[in-house]
This record gives sequence, C-alpha cells and structure tokens, in this order.
Amino acid sequence: MENKIEIANLKVSYGDTQALNGISLNVHPNEILGIIGPAQSGKTTLLKVINRTLEFNQGISVEGTVKLDGVDINSIGDVYGLRRRIGMVLPLPVGLPLTIYDNVAFAPRTAGIRNKAEIDEIVERCLQQAALWDEVKDRLDSLGTKLSGGQQQRLTIARALSHQPEVLCLDEFSIAVDPITTMRIEDVLKTLKNEMTILLVTNLVQQAKRLANRTAFMLNGDLIEIDETDVIFSDNPSNRSTYDYVNGNFG
Amino acid sequence: MNRSNLLYNVIAIVILALVLFMFWNFAASTSYVEGKITSGGVVIDTLSTIYGYLYGMIPICCVLILFSLAVAFYLEEWLSHRSWQYRIIERIIAIFACIPSLVYGLFCAYFIVVKSQQISYLTLTIAVFFIVVPVTIRTTQQVIQKVDLSVREAAYALGAKRMRVIADHVIPNTFPMILTGIFTTISRVLAIAALFIVICGWKITESNSKHSFDIPNNAIVLLSSALLFSVISCLFEKKKSL
Ligand SMILES: Nc1ncnc2c1ncn2[C@@H]1O[C@H](COP(=O)(O)OP(=O)(O)OP(=O)(O)O)[C@@H](O)[C@H]1O
Ligand SMILES: [Mg+2]
Repeated sequence: MENKIEIANLKVSYGDTQALNGISLNVHPNEILGIIGPAQSGKTTLLKVINRTLEFNQGISVEGTVKLDGVDINSIGDVYGLRRRIGMVLPLPVGLPLTIYDNVAFAPRTAGIRNKAEIDEIVERCLQQAALWDEVKDRLDSLGTKLSGGQQQRLTIARALSHQPEVLCLDEFSIAVDPITTMRIEDVLKTLKNEMTILLVTNLVQQAKRLANRTAFMLNGDLIEIDETDVIFSDNPSNRSTYDYVNGNFG
Repeated sequence: MNRSNLLYNVIAIVILALVLFMFWNFAASTSYVEGKITSGGVVIDTLSTIYGYLYGMIPICCVLILFSLAVAFYLEEWLSHRSWQYRIIERIIAIFACIPSLVYGLFCAYFIVVKSQQISYLTLTIAVFFIVVPVTIRTTQQVIQKVDLSVREAAYALGAKRMRVIADHVIPNTFPMILTGIFTTISRVLAIAALFIVICGWKITESNSKHSFDIPNNAIVLLSSALLFSVISCLFEKKKSL
C-alpha cells in the first residue's frame, strides 16, 4: 500500500527550543491517525510542518523529509497549491475578519471558483459537515468573529473542508465544542475518511480510541510508539509510558 | 544578544562611522567665507526662493514615504528573516533611524549655508531621505511584525497567496498605525523645514547687511503645522486601540 504521508527523521527547532527530535512515521491513505501525547510533545508542530505554515515562525529550523504522495513537500514549487491539498484546524479558532459565508468561501475563491451557485453549494455542505449549518443558515452575512467560541471552532472546521483537502489535520478540534456537537462531528469524520486522510491530534485519549485506526503517542518531541489503536489502548502496548499515559497515571 | 546579531550590529556601526568620517573629512576642507546663498549661480536675496525649493520638496517627500513603505513590506513579507541580507539591512536602518532628524537637518543646513553656499534639490533630497526613509521603514516594520501570526497562518493554510494575505489582512490591520508613522514623519519634516528657514533667513539678512533679523512668519506656520500633524498622528493611534 502506498503511504499518503511519509515523514523521515524530522527535526524541528524554534531557535534554541528543540520541538521534534527526529521523528519518522507513515500515514496510510484514508485512515484516521490519532496523535496523542502530553503538552509540549510537539503535536501541533508536526501538523504545521506538513502544510508548511511553520515557516512563518522566526528562527525556525526544519530538517528531515516529509513526503506527500511520495513527493517531498519542500520540492513542491507551488506552496499555495500544497496548502490547498491540506485542511488545517487549529486548536484556538482563528476567525478571519470576514462574514461566515466569506470565511467558508475564502478557499474555493482562492482556488479560482467564481460560480456563485457552486460556492453556495460548497458553503452549505461544509457548514453541514461541521454541524454548524442549522445555527447560522439565517445569518451567513454576519461576522464570523461574532460567533460563540464553539461555533467559531466549527467554522474553522467548515473552512478546512471547503477546499476539499486530501489530508485533514485536526488539532484539538473539540476543545471548545460541547459533547453532543462533538459526537456529531465525530460521526462526520468517520464518513469523511472515505474521501480523505485524517490526522487527529487530541488531548482526549478516548476520542482517539473512538475514532482512530492507528494511534501515535508522542512525548517531548519523540515518537514513542505508533500502532493499531487497539494495541495502543490494550494492556500491553510495546512501551510502558504509552500504557501509563493512556490510562491516566502519567508522571 | 547572540554572536551573529552582535556581528551585524558591528557591521552597521562601521558603515555609519565611515559615513561620518567622510563627512568630517569633507567638512574640514571648508574654504568659505563669502556669506551668501546662491541658487544656480544667482545670489538669493529673499526667502521666497527658499520657499520655492521647499514646495518643490513636497512631491519628493511623498515619493520617499511610498518608497519606505514598499521597502518595509518587502523586508517583512518577502525577505527571509534568517538571511544575512535581511539582518544587515535591518541593522543599518535601525541605526540610521535612531539618529534624531535634527542632526540630519543641521548637517543639511550646514552644507547649504556654510559649505557649498548653494541650495539645490539634490542636497535637500539627501537630507529628507535620511529624515524620512529609515524612521518610516522602521516603524512600518514594527507594525507589520505585530500583526497576529495566527490569522496570517490561517489565511495561508487555506491556500491564500501572499499578495492576498497582505491586501486582505496585513494592510487593513496595520493601516492606522502606518498612518500614525507617516504623520509623525511629516511633522518631523515640517519642523526641520522651519529650522532650515530660520537659518537661511538669518544668512540672507546678514549677507544683505540688514542687521535686524526676525524669525520668518512662515517658520512659525511650519512649526504650528508640525504640531498639528503630531496631534493628528496620535488620533490614529487611539483609534487603533479601540
Ligand atoms: N512559536 C513557538 N516559538 C517557540 N517555541 C515554540 C513555538 N511553538 C511551540 N514551541 C515549542 O515547541 C515545543 C512543542 O510545541 P507544540 O506546540 O508542538 O506541542 P503540542 O504537543 O502541540 O502541545 P499542546 O498539547 O500543549 O498543544 C514546545 O516545547 C513549545 O514550547
Ligand atoms: Mg498543540
């Protein structure tokens, strides 16, 4: 089976802080890969390497290779095109200072879609998938930044889906979302994985257990273990600290 | 401060020292004493010729301000902050921006009134260049650096092109602060122009052997406008923080 993403010996440092110390892992197509680990383990950094937005940090240094469909992402000339192939949901919802509609229409328009009906259709579908449509369908013209915290987070999910990415990166997407809505989004993710590959960073280990096909455990910039989710959550994963973290008796 | 930053600072200071050295060398070789100002060979005997030059500087000032904004955006949005080009340019600008505009103004007046005794657009432009460009670049750079990284990342993550992010996000978010910087700069230029008129007026009175010298009214007008522009620049600042 061809790997969707191949990461080899990836090292990242922010100036003097080493965030990733040489990580290698493969992501299979159409799987949900759960990524768990305590704070500061480098999960967010890993996601930002993939869509090359880490480059905006001053003093950043990245070594190692990341391949998407077998092609090194650094050798892709059209970095904007690369980013459109990847959907990114960050933990703190970042509302672009635009209306709800324009937030979701932003990426399709950037990709050159001009047809109003087509954009309308994308906006509705993505807001449905993010479980937000019913709440906002009557006020698509109001500012996205005026939604509640949880709604803004779902708006970023809708936005990430709007350019039909091949890879969807979710970084603690449910941090501000109530449990019932979270369940609705989780159901959507289960169906979405037929169309795309999903990287799911989560602090809720149970969420990884519910959704992920495989799970990776990270700790202080190292990849401790990656395996079938069943194995990670069993009584005998190959690393002792994985067991401790998953069972909440860490440290 | 780490070692490489120190290096870039040293290089920038050396460049500044060279400029000063050249200036002193040149100033020491003064052989003046006629005591008049000329314009294209004709002795200036009223201030109105000087005013003509100052009006002529208005478009040049505008061009220099636009140029500075372009340079600031280029440095912040295009050039990699890790490249040596960025670091050296950034340091040099920082150092020239630290020098008070009064110093540039007095150098320029010295050159025109004492040294060459001839007013020309070239001299004025060089002075205004140093008064306007480094400070404007520096303040604009600082404003751009303060733009929220997360919104920028979010826009780029959606595949937005650089020009799009700059036009839709960076410029709207920085515009009031950039205006503040521009107005402060204008105010500075006006104040220096007032000083310049006073010095030239004094020289012209002296060379015409009129022994009573009054501060020209226009200098007062310029100073008042400088004040006005400073106050206006504060208004923008306030608007931003709302
Ligand atoms: N912009 C930054 N500048 C400097 N250091 C950073 C930056 N972002 C992250 N780091 C450092 O990199 C390391 C990894 O951070 P990262 O955000 O990837 O961790 P994380 O696993 O996502 O943590 P969390 O679960 O808290 O979100 C940390 O030591 C952190 O301090
Ligand atoms: Mg994180």
